Amino acid sequence: MTMEEMRIETETNSMVSMTLYAVMYPVFNEVMCAERENPGLTQDIIMKILEKKNVQINYTESLLRMAADDVEEFLVDRPEQEFQDLNDKARALKNILSKIPDEINDRVRFLQTIKDIASAIKELLDTVNNVFKKYQYQNRRALEHQKKEFVKYSKSFSDTLKTYFKDGKAINVFISANRLIHQTNLILQTFKTVI
Amino acid sequence: MEEDVKKVKKPGIVSPFKRVFLKGEKGRDKKAQEKTTERRALHTFSLSLPDHRIDPDILLNDYIEKEVKYLGQLTSVPGYLNPSSRTEVLQLIDNARKSHQLAGQLTSEQDAVVSLSAYNVKLVWRDGEDIILRVPIHDIAAVSYIRDDSLHLVVLKTAQEAGVSPCPSTCPDLSKSMTLGSLSESGAVLVEVCCLLVLAVDNKAAAEELCLLLSQVFQIVYTESTIDFLDRAIFDGATTPTRHLSLYSDDSSSKVDVKEAFEAEASTFSFQGSLEAGDNSPSPSSTPASPQTKTASEGELSTTATELLQDYMTTLRTKLSSHEIQQFATLLHEYRNGASIHEFCINLRQLYGDSRKFLLLGLRPFIPEKDSQHFENFLETIGVKDGRGIITDSFGRYRRTASSASDSTTNGNGAVRGDGDVGGSDERLAPSEGDEWDRMISDISNDIEALGVSMDQEGVTP
Repeated sequence: MTMEEMRIETETNSMVSMTLYAVMYPVFNEVMCAERENPGLTQDIIMKILEKKNVQINYTESLLRMAADDVEEFLVDRPEQEFQDLNDKARALKNILSKIPDEINDRVRFLQTIKDIASAIKELLDTVNNVFKKYQYQNRRALEHQKKEFVKYSKSFSDTLKTYFKDGKAINVFISANRLIHQTNLILQTFKTVI
Repeated sequence: MEEDVKKVKKPGIVSPFKRVFLKGEKGRDKKAQEKTTERRALHTFSLSLPDHRIDPDILLNDYIEKEVKYLGQLTSVPGYLNPSSRTEVLQLIDNARKSHQLAGQLTSEQDAVVSLSAYNVKLVWRDGEDIILRVPIHDIAAVSYIRDDSLHLVVLKTAQEAGVSPCPSTCPDLSKSMTLGSLSESGAVLVEVCCLLVLAVDNKAAAEELCLLLSQVFQIVYTESTIDFLDRAIFDGATTPTRHLSLYSDDSSSKVDVKEAFEAEASTFSFQGSLEAGDNSPSPSSTPASPQTKTASEGELSTTATELLQDYMTTLRTKLSSHEIQQFATLLHEYRNGASIHEFCINLRQLYGDSRKFLLLGLRPFIPEKDSQHFENFLETIGVKDGRGIITDSFGRYRRTASSASDSTTNGNGAVRGDGDVGGSDERLAPSEGDEWDRMISDISNDIEALGVSMDQEGVTP
């Protein structure tokens, strides 16, 4: 038996990981159910933990930085190129938005970031339109509604930027960017549900 | 002691020496003093140190003046000149001063006032206030400060209207500048050229102040331009048809009214409308009222194409005078009836002028596919790609894709929309589609002309 095989056998037979799936997974499931019933509950829990531990962080900014990561729930699991493009474009947009906290204090770099965000938004919308063109769905209205919502929040993001360049309050940009990321995820989720 | 200090002038004989020389000096001093007292106070503001920050509203809705000395303007300077290179710039300036293209000695004759706003840099003579020149902000490529011993030079690298100049093929730095790359008849390669506006200020502090003010102007302008780019990207993506667009769209359920999601509202920057109009005195922008457009057979032309046309008309109404709208209608009519795309572009460029050349961007969806390449090249040569006359690299992504109405009117047979007779194109529209599009454009042209007439009657000025 090789070392690797021994390690695998040890891990397989070890009881230590049982806590993860026996205790934590049910907790996660309950939290997810509770969040569906009471939106914002998870955030409240996190905020309370941070408060309790006296952790001084900007929660909105941290959320934005972390929001680019792929979430299984929001990936369209269809093999066709259009849907893979959809995943890619959504990921690209979220990545750029998540970099806002790093770029916002350097005007030149921030303007370039905004241009990149503009291109990413356009590419995502083009990809959505390509899927619409190619596939006819029963529940098209839901997809179109989600696209409209995304456009609305994109416009709101643009308005927030205009205000930021007057008043300098970066936190509002972070909030708007988070909302736009959420809308991006909802587009993916809607496609995943409808198809 | 005090009595010694005060020497009372006694009447009597005045030294002839004093009479001749001091009188002259007094005369000159008196004249200089009179000149100083005659000169008006500059329109200026206190700036926050150390970076000379000024309230953006002043640059947007007002202006600031600084005293400078105007040495002159060099034209047909190779565009590849590095404005950061002290050696290169000084070499040009020295040669120009030797050949008397620029002022040699600095005297009060070069006294000038530079007036800065978010719209342009204006230079006038200090005495008499005659205008020397005006440079729109988007024509300024770079600003340099060079200290040459006691001379403090501020040099602005700006666009030159002519655009190109022949350069010998032996020109060593050719590779930097071959943006056009076409050969003239003599075999010389055409290169981009620019102008250098050379100013002098009193000291380093004044030079830095001027540079920082210009930097703030650039920030405002480029910020606005970037937000516009974002808005247009959202608009383009939102209004792209959600199904294969044809002149005969028989599925009414496919018409997604994304215009509800994207409100065509005025920017919160009151600066935007007036910047587009190229005015010096910005006026608050307002959402223009939609003109009463009769669009026949809207059910037969897709919602998106109709909306795009209407949007463009709305824009024209806010940017052009009534006479100009009529001229636009005439040019459009000529293009549809056989004028070449080249002629159409040149005439439109002339009509819009420098401050409104960005309006050409709005025509993109309406240029037939066969003319689109020429149109895109033309936009590039006049310095308009995707922005208010500002070319940046990242805009290159926005090539003609399926997002334009002209692309989208490719029908299932692959026939290309457009006026099939224009320019002797080999491609022919299906007759009914071509007729429908022509009728649409005719209606729009008539409406545009009617707009011009109605604006004359209302006495509305843009």
